[in-house]
Amino acid sequence: MPEIILRNVTKRFGKFVAVDRLDLAIADGDFVTLLGPSGCGKTTTLRMIAGLETPTEGEILIDGRIVFSSETGVDVSPDKRDVGFLFQNYALWPHMTVEQNISFGLENLKWDKPRIRARVDKLLATLKIEPFGKRYPSELSGGQQQRVAIARTLATGPKVLFMDEPLSNLDAKLRTEMRAELKRLHVETDSTFVYVTHDQLEAMTLSTKTCLMKEGLLQQYAPPLEVYHSPANVFVADFVGSPTMNFIEGYGKNVNLDEIKLSVGGLDLIFTPVSGSITLRDDQEIILGIRPEYIPIGESGQGKARVYSTLPSGMETVVKIQVGALQLTSVVFGAIDFEIDGEVRFGFSGDDCIIFDKETGMNLALGRLTIL
Amino acid sequence: MTTGNQLRSFARKPHNVILIVLAVTLSFLTLFPLISLAKDTLIVHPSEIMTVKGSSVGDATLFHWKKVFFDGETSQNMFYKPFWNTVNVSLWACAISLLLGGSVAWLVTRSDLRWKPFISTVFIFPYIMPSWTLAMAWLNFFRNRLIGGAPGLFTALTGIETANWFAYGFFPIVIVLGLHYAPFAYILIGGILRNMDANLEEAAVILKAGRLKILSRITLPIIMPAVLSTFLLVFSSCMSAFAVPAFLGTPVRFQVLTTQLYRTLNGLNPGYGYIMALVMIVIGTGILLVNQWIVGKRKSFTTITGKSSNISLVKLKAFKNPVSVLLILFVGVIAILPLVTFAVESFIMAPGDYSIKNMTTQFWIGPGSEDVGGGEPGILLNKYIYLGLWNSVKLSVIVAFVAGTVGALAGYAVVKARGTRLASLVNNLAFFPYLMPSMAFGAIYLSMFAKRNLFIPSLYGSFALLVLVGAVKYLPFASRAGMNAMLQLSNEIEEAAQIIGIPWWKRMVRIIFPIQKSSFLSGYLLPFISCMRELALFVLLIVPANRVLTTMLFQYNEKGWNQYANAINLLIVLIVLIFNTVINKVTGASIDKGIGG
Repeated sequence: MPEIILRNVTKRFGKFVAVDRLDLAIADGDFVTLLGPSGCGKTTTLRMIAGLETPTEGEILIDGRIVFSSETGVDVSPDKRDVGFLFQNYALWPHMTVEQNISFGLENLKWDKPRIRARVDKLLATLKIEPFGKRYPSELSGGQQQRVAIARTLATGPKVLFMDEPLSNLDAKLRTEMRAELKRLHVETDSTFVYVTHDQLEAMTLSTKTCLMKEGLLQQYAPPLEVYHSPANVFVADFVGSPTMNFIEGYGKNVNLDEIKLSVGGLDLIFTPVSGSITLRDDQEIILGIRPEYIPIGESGQGKARVYSTLPSGMETVVKIQVGALQLTSVVFGAIDFEIDGEVRFGFSGDDCIIFDKETGMNLALGRLTIL
Repeated sequence: MTTGNQLRSFARKPHNVILIVLAVTLSFLTLFPLISLAKDTLIVHPSEIMTVKGSSVGDATLFHWKKVFFDGETSQNMFYKPFWNTVNVSLWACAISLLLGGSVAWLVTRSDLRWKPFISTVFIFPYIMPSWTLAMAWLNFFRNRLIGGAPGLFTALTGIETANWFAYGFFPIVIVLGLHYAPFAYILIGGILRNMDANLEEAAVILKAGRLKILSRITLPIIMPAVLSTFLLVFSSCMSAFAVPAFLGTPVRFQVLTTQLYRTLNGLNPGYGYIMALVMIVIGTGILLVNQWIVGKRKSFTTITGKSSNISLVKLKAFKNPVSVLLILFVGVIAILPLVTFAVESFIMAPGDYSIKNMTTQFWIGPGSEDVGGGEPGILLNKYIYLGLWNSVKLSVIVAFVAGTVGALAGYAVVKARGTRLASLVNNLAFFPYLMPSMAFGAIYLSMFAKRNLFIPSLYGSFALLVLVGAVKYLPFASRAGMNAMLQLSNEIEEAAQIIGIPWWKRMVRIIFPIQKSSFLSGYLLPFISCMRELALFVLLIVPANRVLTTMLFQYNEKGWNQYANAINLLIVLIVLIFNTVINKVTGASIDKGIGG
């Protein structure tokens, strides 16, 4: 069964390093997203696996077979890697009808006509585009084009499917709809999906594993919820989650047994690690990371703050509060309209507040916070 | 809003004013001449009084039309044969240039060919150089004893006498025109390929289509409408070529429409010539209409580029080196070898003898001697050459300035008022001169400005007439470049300046022009280069006082003073290439940007 392994894969464009010594193992049936800001090398990685780009160094295996190796000089061409590829702009052939677009790949496999016909009809039905079979791509809406592109990619029944930001050209509503469909397709086709996106929400909601990259370097490769709750470093913590995590710079030192005293932005806090004990140097510079949902605000709470702004969206309300010189973001459930400049009380909840080392940005520990 | 207020608000927008002014001026300079030309086919001209029996100058007559179209053998020789020759030559030359230019374009944009920068630079040379460059080189190599003089280099080196069909007439004209316009096709098709989304081809690769299948089923069908419109543009350029058939066809009396035009207009029957000019314009306009129909029909075929930087190049594998070396040799032969032959020929004392002792600097720096070339001194000492050079440069600079500026304004106004009827009228008017064969265009201006016309005095023989005809003829290049530049610029850029009260001219000079400097400058470069190497357009209008280098070259060649002609040609080619390179390096403007690749 198809399993994709990347070993030490590097891609340089002249002096620019697009992908830097990437190791990655994608298990059969995974839905892996390559996530990161633009220019982080995620598309290049995808294109290298598909064979559209030649790595400068490294080795790539698909289904146990070496498809690329810089050492032995193996470079299997894309058409012999048995993969499907969904392009960001769909790349539908403008001079062919929807049916012709879908059947092109099957013709190349030398299927006979009735069999092609049956397959095309089935795909048109699955993707709910039966009425458009005879139309040209330019006569379809963006969402319909997207479906045709998916049908074309699925036609040959590839066991591995690569998608390069396939939803980025759709409007918000269609995007949500297509996400649900893609997730179903993943299960129905029983194949491995590798999916490039810069949208962390897409990565969170779709994938079984997320590969986060920055400037060509792998940052974290883990299931999305793990990435969310236990980000490997400040970059990952900042990139994933909306509204973004609160970061407060400060100092920490070990007090008592297993407890850490933090002084951040005029606040004195006690941090109790839950992920095992840690040792800090005295007055080590740290960054405290707190997700907005771990800052409950209301009538009660140990801290006092002023409401800076409030953004109710119906289901939840994002509130920015001012604590001394600090500005923190909090999310509360329900539509509560706080009065700007009004006074509220706040606290910290949960076991997933994070201490990062300021120097390296690495995650040191997860734990609980109490205000002194 | 009252009509008065509407007018006022219309006139407050500078692009509307530009459009109105251009619509009026261009109508006068392009449509009016057409009418005047049509009229000229129907009247008796001074030199024709003897032929049209019992008539006086200015009488209305159908004589010319009858003679040209319905007079049996005479019409055959005068019109039909040259006409079919023109069509044949143009079709074959077109096929060669599309095949050649298209292949090189594909190799450069889509394969891992070696030495791409060198090949793509030098391959364009034949287009930058005057069109007769290759024709003269052909003669230098392959001429035989037919036209009296000595045989060329090929015979001198091998002892084999070249056949007439090979040295003169249809065959060499087709080859030379094909080679001359191959770069043009290369620039256009290369531009299309570069703009075509590579993902479209990659999608087919993933679906296991072979290279050939991708080319035939995906690439070619998608670029076909654009290739077809390239075909039409090259066809109309070939049709209006004058210098090449004049050089290569005349020795064996192989006539095409342009050479016939030159003979009749310069001879005793200008009426015939005006009819032929009209025929060529009708064909040109027909081509424009077909082209617009094709372009209008294509359904958003040029897709928005996805990630063309990510283009994966076709590996030529075993063919990589042979193909690369062959192409290098090829561009060497068509772009560099001709220059060598000019140099060689210009140093030869007695034609046909290529031994060292026959070498002389006589034709470059020698004092005039009675027995050689009518006593003319070498071209570097000849004050008439310097006068011609000065005229050429002066004319080209002024023409480029006028055409470039008007073109930039036209581009600006047309893009600003996109979609309005006025804008498309001006757009078409500005492109119309492109379709008029140069020779015919010259003929029209000759007929129109030979005498006082409305408020314009007779301009015949004046420098101003050359400037006028050049500026109008090359306006299409400049307006295309201007439009390309403006289309890449978002409207907000100008609006941001408008909102803080920057006056229009300052917006143009300080914001719009600097941002798209290289594109706009390309609109100046192309007219300049075209003008420097133009012959057909000026050959009917030039008088001794304002001779330019190209017409002098033509005269030397007609007189058979081969060495002078070669020396002058080398001079022109070098000047054009140097100007092109310097302008390209300094400003980033380039020919291909002008053509819109």
